Amino acid sequence: MGKEDRNIMHNPYLPYPVRISDLRIETEDKNLRTFKFEFLNPGDEEKFAYLPGQFAELSVPGQGEIPIGIASSPTEKGYVMFTVNRVGQVSSYMHNMKVGDVMGIRGPLGHPYPLEKLEGKNILIIAGGFAVTTLRSTIVWMLQPENRSKYGNIDFVYGARMPGLLCFKDDWTEWQKRSDINVHVTIDREAPGWTGKVGFVPTVTKEVCPPPANTAAIICGPPVMIKFTQPVLEEAGYSHDDIIMSLENRMKCGLGICGRCNVGPEYVCKDGPVFTLTQLNQLPKEY
Amino acid sequence: MAEYIVKENALRNFFQALTEGGQRTLLAPAKVGDKLQMVECEADKITLDFANTHQSPKSAFFPQTQKLMAFHKDTSKSDPFVYKPLGLDNMKPTVLFGIRPCDAKGLVVADKVFQNNRFTDPYWKTAYESSIKIGLACTAPGPNCFCTGVGGSPFSETGLDALAYVKDGGLAIKAITADAEEFLKGLSGVEAAEVAGEMAELKKAVEAKMPGPIDMAKVASGEILDIFNQPHWKDTADRCLNCGTCTFVCPTCHCFDIQDEQNEKGGVRMRNWDTCMSWIYTVHGTGHNPRPTKTERMRQRFMHKLKYIPMKQDGDCGCIGCGRCVTLCPVNIDIREVAKQMNG
Repeated sequence: MGKEDRNIMHNPYLPYPVRISDLRIETEDKNLRTFKFEFLNPGDEEKFAYLPGQFAELSVPGQGEIPIGIASSPTEKGYVMFTVNRVGQVSSYMHNMKVGDVMGIRGPLGHPYPLEKLEGKNILIIAGGFAVTTLRSTIVWMLQPENRSKYGNIDFVYGARMPGLLCFKDDWTEWQKRSDINVHVTIDREAPGWTGKVGFVPTVTKEVCPPPANTAAIICGPPVMIKFTQPVLEEAGYSHDDIIMSLENRMKCGLGICGRCNVGPEYVCKDGPVFTLTQLNQLPKEY
Repeated sequence: MAEYIVKENALRNFFQALTEGGQRTLLAPAKVGDKLQMVECEADKITLDFANTHQSPKSAFFPQTQKLMAFHKDTSKSDPFVYKPLGLDNMKPTVLFGIRPCDAKGLVVADKVFQNNRFTDPYWKTAYESSIKIGLACTAPGPNCFCTGVGGSPFSETGLDALAYVKDGGLAIKAITADAEEFLKGLSGVEAAEVAGEMAELKKAVEAKMPGPIDMAKVASGEILDIFNQPHWKDTADRCLNCGTCTFVCPTCHCFDIQDEQNEKGGVRMRNWDTCMSWIYTVHGTGHNPRPTKTERMRQRFMHKLKYIPMKQDGDCGCIGCGRCVTLCPVNIDIREVAKQMNG
């Protein structure tokens, strides 16, 4: 997006009204719920044109707003989907909302993953816990027939502490049956009934990591996962330009105006949340 | 551009005429309690004899608290629980008289944040761009003024529609924009005159009495992390109380919080000035805080003003040298001293 955005006197603070069209409990600890929203006004879905990696402010009238990554893919029409962790006032309130309730969403905000730049490359996607949301969006988008041929091999490493904390089970179970994506789902420790991989994400990454030539890695997860996965990729020979991460910081406006989410001169909301490791290495670690 | 004078005995009529018969809100320097502020005021309350207003004029376009939108809960009406914008239609434009050139420059810095490379804040834009800003040049700068240290001037025209100075108890005015010329030429008390020559002389004379440029060359060319990791931050922050006074009075500080308020009938979403000195400003939902102590928070403010804003605004400094934070800091932290350390 560029300067042309400024020519339209659009009010970027005003949410699009939406209705909760579907919701489900995502994890067995019940801390994560996945919401599908449909737009109340015709035309708003088109205005909310987004790409994988972007986020939105979920806006509950009278409660406030929370910035959440978009979990659906733009190729999934008729709704937008978000997975919300119960943390504060707005997310806790949302956990008590019902199908049919009206709220708002505001966005799309931030920049998507560099999907065009990644064309022609092998893709290694690494996710931990519920940070998998925008990566789910990315995989769904990349697996579309019109997009799949643009990329080489796709590897997906996804870990959670235990089986019941893995999100989007239906999706990755389907992907496991496909030949055009290698799915490596892992849990931290052995668990009854679990027949898949066991081990932390960095360890599994080390096992399955494709050679770095012409490969880019996209990582999203808790700080401790990133801390130990980054050296694995560096040792494997990945260049810092090919390690792509998505940051989180406290946000309010999402527009690069209210101030709080800056990392050096960059606002995570407006200039991120997607950064390469090369970019992050030049910035203070204030995230 | 046209030049004018307003004689001393015509000032009252001139100030009254600035509202264009009530179509504009006049904001001008006047006493509020024991402090001079830029406020909506009667023509005879306006003063021309001051160093600068206690607070910056940013609240004219970015109120300390502002309702952005409202919703209702009445399901018998249309659009329950749907936010509708407030304050954008039929907004009465302002005329700011007596804004100091440093502050006008500060508003330009803020304007580039509120209208950045991706988004336009309609609340700011509507108020800022419809206003007419008539600056009052400083012939007697205050003891902590240092606009000349950060690329400004007591006669700077940046961000102004017209610039005036006090002449024989009245005003000499130079129009800077075509809008201002159109606005001023028909107003009561305004007479055509030639004042640009005298204004240029005065500018030179006042600038000569003011501080020279603060050397920021190494801050400009240095790496972010090298300046960020300098050892002096903790020493300065040891004194800092994180009180936020500096951010409150700074004309370029633009941070805000967004909060909802509601009752049984409906609610509003509002924004309120916020401060990077506050712990809660950056804390994550997990409890993790990227700027956990006062040292990081104080460093953030100076890095923002002196390194990050220049990087994003073609080298222009985020400090415009009004000196308010220097005057009002309860522990005498001086941004000029910090700038020297950063450049050391």
